[in-house]
Amino acid sequence: MRLHAIPVSLLTLWVTCSVALHESDAGVVDWHKRLIGVPNTESRHTSPVFHRAVEQKSKQSIVLTATRSNVMAAVDPLDGSVLWRYVYEPEDNIVTFQQQGSVVASLSGTGGATLRTFNMLSGEPLIEKRLHEPETGLLIQPNNLGTFIAFGNKSHEIYTLTNGRIVNCFHNGEILWTWRAQDHSSQILYSTIQTTDDAVYVVGLASSFASYVLHVVALSPLTGEVLASASVPSTISNGLDEFLVLSDMVVWIEKSSIKSFALSPSLSGRSRTLPAASYEKLVNIGLGSHGMFIAVGTNGFGQLIACEDGNLVTSKNFERPSTPESFYAGGLDMHRNPYVSHVHVSTTTKFTAVEIFSPHLQGLLAEYILPWDMNTHGTITYVAMDVVNSDPDIILGRLLLTTSTGSVQIWQRESHLWTREEGLAELNAAKFVELPERVSGLTGEGRSEEGFVGRLVRQIKDVKDLPSYLVRFSKRFATGSYESATSSASVLPSPSVPQLPFRDAFGFRQVLVASTTYGKVYGIDTSNGDILWNRVLGVGSKAHERGAKVTPIPDKLFVTKTVGDVDGDTLKAGPEIVLLAKITSEESASEDILLFHLNALTGQDAVKVLAVDGPLEGLFVTSRPIQNVYMLQSDEIKVIVLLDSDLKVYLYPDDTVSKNMFAKAATTLTVPLTQVSQEGQRKLIGHQFGSKSYTEDEMEHSAFPTWTLSLPDGQDVQSLITPIRDPVASIGKVLGNRTTLYKYLNPHMVLVLTAPHSSSALNPNAHCGLYLLDSVKGSIVYQVALPIGRKTCNVKAAFTENWLVYHYYDDEHQGPGQTKGYKMVTVELYEGKEVDDKTRSSEISSYSDKMLDLTAYEQSFVYPHAISAIALTSTKFGITSKDIIVANVNGKIQSFSRRLVNPRRPVGRKPNSEETEEFLVQYDPLLPDDSRKVFSHNYDVAHARFITTSPALLESTSLVFVYGLDLFLSRVAPSNTFDVLNESFNKVQLVLTVIGLLGAIFVTRPMVTRKKLREKWYQ
Amino acid sequence: MALQILQTLVLLFLGIAVDVKGRISWNDVCREYSELGRSRAVLDDEKFSGGILKDGTFIIPNVPSGTYLLSVISHDYLFDQLRIDVTESEETPTVEARPYIPGTPMNPPSTVLLTYPLKLSARQKFDYFVPRESFNIMGMLKSPMILMMIFAGGMVLGMPYLMKNMGPESLEELRKEQAKMSHAQSALQNGDFRSGMSALMEAVSGQDQPSSQPSPQAPRTQPATKSRGKGKRR
Repeated sequence: MRLHAIPVSLLTLWVTCSVALHESDAGVVDWHKRLIGVPNTESRHTSPVFHRAVEQKSKQSIVLTATRSNVMAAVDPLDGSVLWRYVYEPEDNIVTFQQQGSVVASLSGTGGATLRTFNMLSGEPLIEKRLHEPETGLLIQPNNLGTFIAFGNKSHEIYTLTNGRIVNCFHNGEILWTWRAQDHSSQILYSTIQTTDDAVYVVGLASSFASYVLHVVALSPLTGEVLASASVPSTISNGLDEFLVLSDMVVWIEKSSIKSFALSPSLSGRSRTLPAASYEKLVNIGLGSHGMFIAVGTNGFGQLIACEDGNLVTSKNFERPSTPESFYAGGLDMHRNPYVSHVHVSTTTKFTAVEIFSPHLQGLLAEYILPWDMNTHGTITYVAMDVVNSDPDIILGRLLLTTSTGSVQIWQRESHLWTREEGLAELNAAKFVELPERVSGLTGEGRSEEGFVGRLVRQIKDVKDLPSYLVRFSKRFATGSYESATSSASVLPSPSVPQLPFRDAFGFRQVLVASTTYGKVYGIDTSNGDILWNRVLGVGSKAHERGAKVTPIPDKLFVTKTVGDVDGDTLKAGPEIVLLAKITSEESASEDILLFHLNALTGQDAVKVLAVDGPLEGLFVTSRPIQNVYMLQSDEIKVIVLLDSDLKVYLYPDDTVSKNMFAKAATTLTVPLTQVSQEGQRKLIGHQFGSKSYTEDEMEHSAFPTWTLSLPDGQDVQSLITPIRDPVASIGKVLGNRTTLYKYLNPHMVLVLTAPHSSSALNPNAHCGLYLLDSVKGSIVYQVALPIGRKTCNVKAAFTENWLVYHYYDDEHQGPGQTKGYKMVTVELYEGKEVDDKTRSSEISSYSDKMLDLTAYEQSFVYPHAISAIALTSTKFGITSKDIIVANVNGKIQSFSRRLVNPRRPVGRKPNSEETEEFLVQYDPLLPDDSRKVFSHNYDVAHARFITTSPALLESTSLVFVYGLDLFLSRVAPSNTFDVLNESFNKVQLVLTVIGLLGAIFVTRPMVTRKKLREKWYQ
Repeated sequence: MALQILQTLVLLFLGIAVDVKGRISWNDVCREYSELGRSRAVLDDEKFSGGILKDGTFIIPNVPSGTYLLSVISHDYLFDQLRIDVTESEETPTVEARPYIPGTPMNPPSTVLLTYPLKLSARQKFDYFVPRESFNIMGMLKSPMILMMIFAGGMVLGMPYLMKNMGPESLEELRKEQAKMSHAQSALQNGDFRSGMSALMEAVSGQDQPSSQPSPQAPRTQPATKSRGKGKRR
């Protein structure tokens, strides 16, 4: 068996090697955006900070941040490049991080289950230590509560507080001592550690009646023994925001006044009160080590308060009032002198003013207006500051801003250094839009009016260029290269005329319209990944409500007008897209559904011509939650059909043409919808459309249920995958013996994945399910039960035409011949019971009894990796064979030839001559993991979640876009680029050969004539 | 959540779970962490996992008893998979590691026991690219088509001189052969396959036989040899 397997795998290797990437094509045919995600600014301890590694002795600082995509990253503040990043697993979310010297330490998982430390400059992990099982972690909100990291003042100890009551001391990766809070009864939740040379203070809140009391424990830094434990007499009403721990002091707000308690190993101090005005809140600006913080008074103005010799002193009053949109940030310069900034956003004038103050340089203050563009970046969500003074008299503040649209920016005084659009790490819909052909700017317009004389004059003028043209032509003819399938698709923009994007020769250049969960839409150039345009989605009528937020509905982005539909001037009418978004606010429970209709080339509103700058205005559709959205397509028009939770139908555009079209089509339409039943089960219910007419013209359409998929008890519908409807090039497969297998091409098929309901997950019989359904009648075409993986069902599946591929983890290994591992299963459906049976499945009604007359051929393969997404390539006419594209968990995007996963590969024997004619190779249980089919090559495409494919103008080639944390785009040619000249085609060789032959003719012609002449003489 | 509680319970009931420890030993394929990059050692479908540290060590914490498949998730390097058996003895659970070949049945386990703590090393660095075929004049000249062309060209030029130096008898013979071949060719071109083929066969056999029976005292006249050969076979 194995002996046989070797030549077979060699053969398959040879077969698959034929299409692979050349090193010189990397970066030309593909691009990769390495992202880190939007900084997590919910907590101070995961927000971006500037840090100077002291040992480095340089002015240069780096930005450290933990992000919502669960990445720990270091960014260069000068150019915004990612110095390093460490991607955490999704269930292991970063709760806090802290940096000192050249070390960054993080706690992740519930209650801070795992400690990791990294080298600041290289990002190499130094320690990874499990502190407790994630399952035993403390589940509280916010999840960073009760976790803290502190460094020893001079020594290399790291102190961690986890689960709100356990303190560990680490030295060189080993635990020196552990301290656990004993008393469970008093409900003390510790939240902060402060280290000094004499003691380690653990500060927390003990809940008492209607308020909290501060509790401090002093531990010995060497042994972890309790030196003292004391409750500070205090009344804190609002929890965590109202107390701060400075270098040697605890500060809190009690009844609008600031109180402090000096920390000493014996905890024998007394609380003092700052004798001054009344205060509202305390703001931690990260200068606790310098004993500084901001207190916002009840009058709305902020004050910088410093701790001097154990006393609190008001050091500075800020001039501009503190609003919810204003931010305070502290920063250090290279000599570790503290600075404080206040970014004030005026809600009325829309100006962003910055005040910078340095306590050690009394009176010196920098103040300027930040030219900040609210329309493209939304509002500021967080500010961090760094000071890069070269001259001690000039304060050069560098501000890092994170915004509500998910971007990260750095401003050095008024000048903008860079922007990282990190919102792209959370795309929730992406669509390819083809570009129109180039509109030649010079020709056209003026020519039509040009008379005969004018033309003659112009052409005579042009003649002067003829010699140079001829030279160029001959040069190009002899040596020139042609556009190949691997040439770059990016086009240099002409500097003179601002032009709309246009396509390249083979249509590899398209616009990728993508929406992020941060309410922004991007137009991305597929040739190089540049952002062509970006727009903020407006919140509509909820604009005046607090916390109004726009979230595009996942995957509901439709191309309503393609290049083919556009006629005439593309400037006025380009391809258009429609996207739907949900507007929520903190004030009201209801949500609005807005529809945005925009031009895919410019990002402008396609309906109304509005001011270019502002956020896009959406069209209000409904305030009921929507069930699903579809695009109905006839020959000429495309209509967006929305179904709300009451199954009422909304149409866009809502005019008579689309109404008529929908009314005509309504009787034949069927849609499967997932609905939650009264028992909490997620069911799949098929619907058809009916109409009620009120008057002659007014028709109201709504859907009504027709069938329900009967699932075993405790099974929930996990997801519904509508197959990709690509053109079908052939309706059957001709076999080696000249018989035909007719493809089962039911146009109403949907793929349903099910998972056990959370309550029945413990049932030993619980399993995952995969169903192929006929959505008209609800009949099951194909079904399979699959084992549950780690925790949930993690089945990945793709379906097109008559071909289904799925991937799952099989844990069962006890039986003979069984093995643990990932399995890839391929299923092909054919009509009838045997070859040459034909039921015309693509045409007959779903109610026909012949509809379920089919045969499934299937084979299962062992696949070496877990995958996070699967897709199939798609080409223009569907003639090219389809490749499977998978995103492996090790950050690679790989393709598989369909030939390898043909379910008819002969098992246990060599293919006979008929099968060899079909290019079938012997079945080998292991799918070869050929690294040359990894077309993402050296790129580490982290956490890929989705793969979308799009045809190019070349039939042989398909564009593949992968998104998740990173963005990656490349081209794939499953059957080689058969429709363009092979790039290894050697034009020089051809020209040389022709010249050689000409030379040969030249030489031999006189010889032949001489010979003929001689023959005539001597005959 | 319920599942989590159950898992905790399971952990408690099965007794002490064990940390699976190991180390990536740097070799010529992968020399240090900066080459390896972010990698993880995982059991089964990432049920348990541990990150690989700068010094190459990894710890997969709290693994209950059972049989697992250990694999290293790395972007650029190939590592062997191992079968890990965590068994619970009285006090200290033991960890056994065995080699495992992907795609083969798990049972019966291999008889080879590997050392513990585990030692793994990179087998191979993935190669993502194929080299481009470059143009060179020698390679072009070496190709069979070009060689044939050159040979044919040489024959065209050299044939008259060759013919000149040949004896009249062999010249006669050559003419005959040529006539036969041209007859066969014309027959084939005219679509008369049968006669064409037979003519061709005749021509070929006529050419072949003498060369296949080389004899030291090869007489010059072919027909004689032919008849003698036939006679012998009878």
